[in-house]
Amino acid sequence: MSYQDIHELLPFRANGTLEGADLAAVDAALAEDADLRAELAALTAIRATMRAEEVASPGDFGLARLMRDVDAETHVAAPVAANDNVVPLSRLRIWQVAAAVVLAVGIGFNLPQIGPGSAPMERAESEPAGFTLASGGAAADFTVVFAPDATEAELRALLLQAGLEIVSGPSALGIYGLGLIDAEMSDAAFAALSASAIVEDVQ
Amino acid sequence: MSADHKFLIEQIAQGDKQALAALYRALERPVYKFIVSRLNDPHEASDILHEVFMDVWRSAGRFEGRSKVQTWIMGIAYRKSIDAMRKRGRMDLTDETPDMADDGPDQETCLAAGQEAAHVRHCLETLKDDHRSAITLAFYQDMTYGEIAEVAGVPEGTIKTRIFHAKKLLMRCLSGRVERGVA
Repeated sequence: MSYQDIHELLPFRANGTLEGADLAAVDAALAEDADLRAELAALTAIRATMRAEEVASPGDFGLARLMRDVDAETHVAAPVAANDNVVPLSRLRIWQVAAAVVLAVGIGFNLPQIGPGSAPMERAESEPAGFTLASGGAAADFTVVFAPDATEAELRALLLQAGLEIVSGPSALGIYGLGLIDAEMSDAAFAALSASAIVEDVQ
Repeated sequence: MSADHKFLIEQIAQGDKQALAALYRALERPVYKFIVSRLNDPHEASDILHEVFMDVWRSAGRFEGRSKVQTWIMGIAYRKSIDAMRKRGRMDLTDETPDMADDGPDQETCLAAGQEAAHVRHCLETLKDDHRSAITLAFYQDMTYGEIAEVAGVPEGTIKTRIFHAKKLLMRCLSGRVERGVA
């Protein structure tokens, strides 16, 4: 193995991935060459420094974004490899018939309970539980527009500080819906959002 | 660990979103670290990371299992980073290396400078993208030269040469900063 070969392999001796004949050749060269050992020590230090460098990755924020887009894409088209989940047309018709029967029975059961003079709308308002809006279920406590140059790290820090989580958005206009993790912290959260330099508008 | 990743990929291929979330949690940081080391732009790196895992979701069924899952995903990240750099017009497409004097840098100085994150960060940024990618995959990700060759889609000999030049340039830069008294 040439001098250049040994030098080409030295970084892989530093990261511990050399094996077999390569490892034996490099170790033999190291045993005889003090300069090579000094170079390995320097490379080992560089590697340790690089690995110790902390990088603020998108984390849960990125995961939420990924899941949102995967959900959106799944509603448009199932993944190619999930074709065995496709329901055959004949089975689909059976399910459609079954669903129609269940619906008809449900309507037949409920109609007699809404007698003459009852006010379905009032009933619905007085008993709001039992359904959620298809557009997003959990209502936002605040709607917010962030500064366009706000970084993910800044958003994350603000949300953690204010005890908030993203419950919807961003919309086409860049509006996010934020929900309180602790409902009693509403005033503090609003104050934190209002005071933040990365928030352009909060309501 | 590698077997776990392969299991997750099989599940993702069946449309399992929880498996995708688990794989994301396992590999998000190293993949992001690699992308941001190439692009030096956290915003853009976040977008590329997102695209990488969307690709994983869409193409998990095509993963053949001939390499580690991490190597396969790093390959996707590598290509997407190149696309991003081409769009910016910031892409070195040659394997040429700058002329260097033959005198080697002082190893003790390199050792001292190699322990200073600011020096290492600066000197990495002075490298060409091919060189920086190779040294990043070797030192951040502890990949073998075979795995780096697979990620970059080039022969192993090319990776060894890139690492050799990257190492020389990096050590020369580090040594120079200490000798010039750069803080």
